Amino acid sequence: MIFPALLLAVLFSYVPFILTFLNSVHAVSLGGKRLGFVGLANYRRLFGNPSFHASLSNTLRFTLFFVPTNIIITLLAAVLSNRKGWLANLNQIFFFLPMAVGMSSMLMILKMMFNPTIGIINRLIGVNIQWFNDPNAAMALLVIAGVFLDIGFDFLLFSAALRNVPNDLKEVALINGANGFQIFRHLELPLIAPTLIFIVVTNIKNAMLISAPVLILTEGGPFRSTQTLVYQMYLEGFKSGNYALGSAIAIVVFLLTFAALLILLHLERRRIYYR
Amino acid sequence: MKTLRATLSTLLSLLIVFPIVYSISASFFQYTDFTALPARLFPSRLNIGNYVRAFSESFLARFLLNSLLTAIAGTLLRMAISILAAYTFSFFTFKGRNALFILIVATMLLPSDALIIANFMTIRALRLTDTYLGIIATSLLAPTHIFMLRQYFRMMSVEYREAAIIEGCSDSRFLSMLLMPMSKAVILTLAIHSFSTIFNDYLWPLLVTNKTSMRTVQVGLTMMGFSEQLDYGPQFAAITFLMTPILIVFIALHKPIIESVSIRFTGR
Repeated sequence: MIFPALLLAVLFSYVPFILTFLNSVHAVSLGGKRLGFVGLANYRRLFGNPSFHASLSNTLRFTLFFVPTNIIITLLAAVLSNRKGWLANLNQIFFFLPMAVGMSSMLMILKMMFNPTIGIINRLIGVNIQWFNDPNAAMALLVIAGVFLDIGFDFLLFSAALRNVPNDLKEVALINGANGFQIFRHLELPLIAPTLIFIVVTNIKNAMLISAPVLILTEGGPFRSTQTLVYQMYLEGFKSGNYALGSAIAIVVFLLTFAALLILLHLERRRIYYR
Repeated sequence: MKTLRATLSTLLSLLIVFPIVYSISASFFQYTDFTALPARLFPSRLNIGNYVRAFSESFLARFLLNSLLTAIAGTLLRMAISILAAYTFSFFTFKGRNALFILIVATMLLPSDALIIANFMTIRALRLTDTYLGIIATSLLAPTHIFMLRQYFRMMSVEYREAAIIEGCSDSRFLSMLLMPMSKAVILTLAIHSFSTIFNDYLWPLLVTNKTSMRTVQVGLTMMGFSEQLDYGPQFAAITFLMTPILIVFIALHKPIIESVSIRFTGR
């Protein structure tokens, strides 16, 4: 009875992984046939390709901006709303509600809200930021979109972890004169460390795989300033029919995400505070 | 201090919920409301014209049908495959059991987004592009579900099943009459998760569908053409129409949703 699961694992995970690797060391025809072994030539071409340099640095830059921004906002939301009462309840609902909106719906809403001329954002704040034509603004837009896509779920995880911090510990700290920030820094933060590590690593992994916000919001522009690895892989594989180069990018992406997961396993093993 | 915290919390939560509220509001805007000065947050008057146009001038209904069919069929298949595998791994001993379990769970390490080119070639070779099966094929295996269900099933001892079998109960009866009702909560949580994952998938359905009539709603939404013509009303109406049922479910079930996460991820 494990046959269906095994078949799917082989057919849609292991075989494609091997095929991706094989394609990355062969010349591949437009029809998808492997023509001849070329060794590391595709990788050499890739690393000499300015477009790939842009993708790699944009992906890493996005990860570097997105992860801290998302963690700070989400953690702030969870800490601030970890109270009692109807207003706290309402705040919590608002914080996880973005999870109910599908990814492409959320991205389309943001795309229209951030339109420089008739979008509500520029008109409301009274600025004239070219969200889609200025490289820095476009990158900022991707980070903002990332936060809206991720906050619902990450907020729930942080909230669950914070609720598990024993109340009597907090009361003892309060009686001994600790302020809110000290309680967070020395009591809550160490106790939620495992959740924090989990969210940081999954965020890093997701950030390195980012593609839909690029596809829907910026299409990699302006001037490739938001072109990411998976987006370039999509372009090479499906727009230019360059399967070999696309597969080489896939292997690079795979190695990057694998490294993130190894770091998670390492940190999990070293965790001290959990329970 | 308390008031400051409540105020900050409320302000931040309003900022986070703003795109949702604005989308609902803007779905009733008239064309001129988008360009009005000063910028409008609420419609000048309620009009449902945008909703009418969203349905009559696009394939929204068809997109929605495709999405519902693939998400329902995909969820059912995914749950059936996961439950059967988890059941086998929990209650039977056979050669290579642990190795096979690891083989299945280790697929979590191979992100499907990095495999799209090879998977697309497989689906094309199987002539499954522009079919429902092609849309769901790559998401039918849920290693996380198998992992969690196995954890759950194993809380029930193997003797239970052996006793039931000796009493003349078949495996299928034991699974459907005893084990599944006992694990109702976790199965339901995973099914909801599956449904929203498949329903919200974007990149893969975009690649395997070419005909407009086979597009899922997440892909179709971005291709309706309204937003390119800066005709935002119908676009907001389509999005609002889609998200409203899910928003209602989330608001109504907010307590169990918050608690289910607490159980799943902190093991309490």
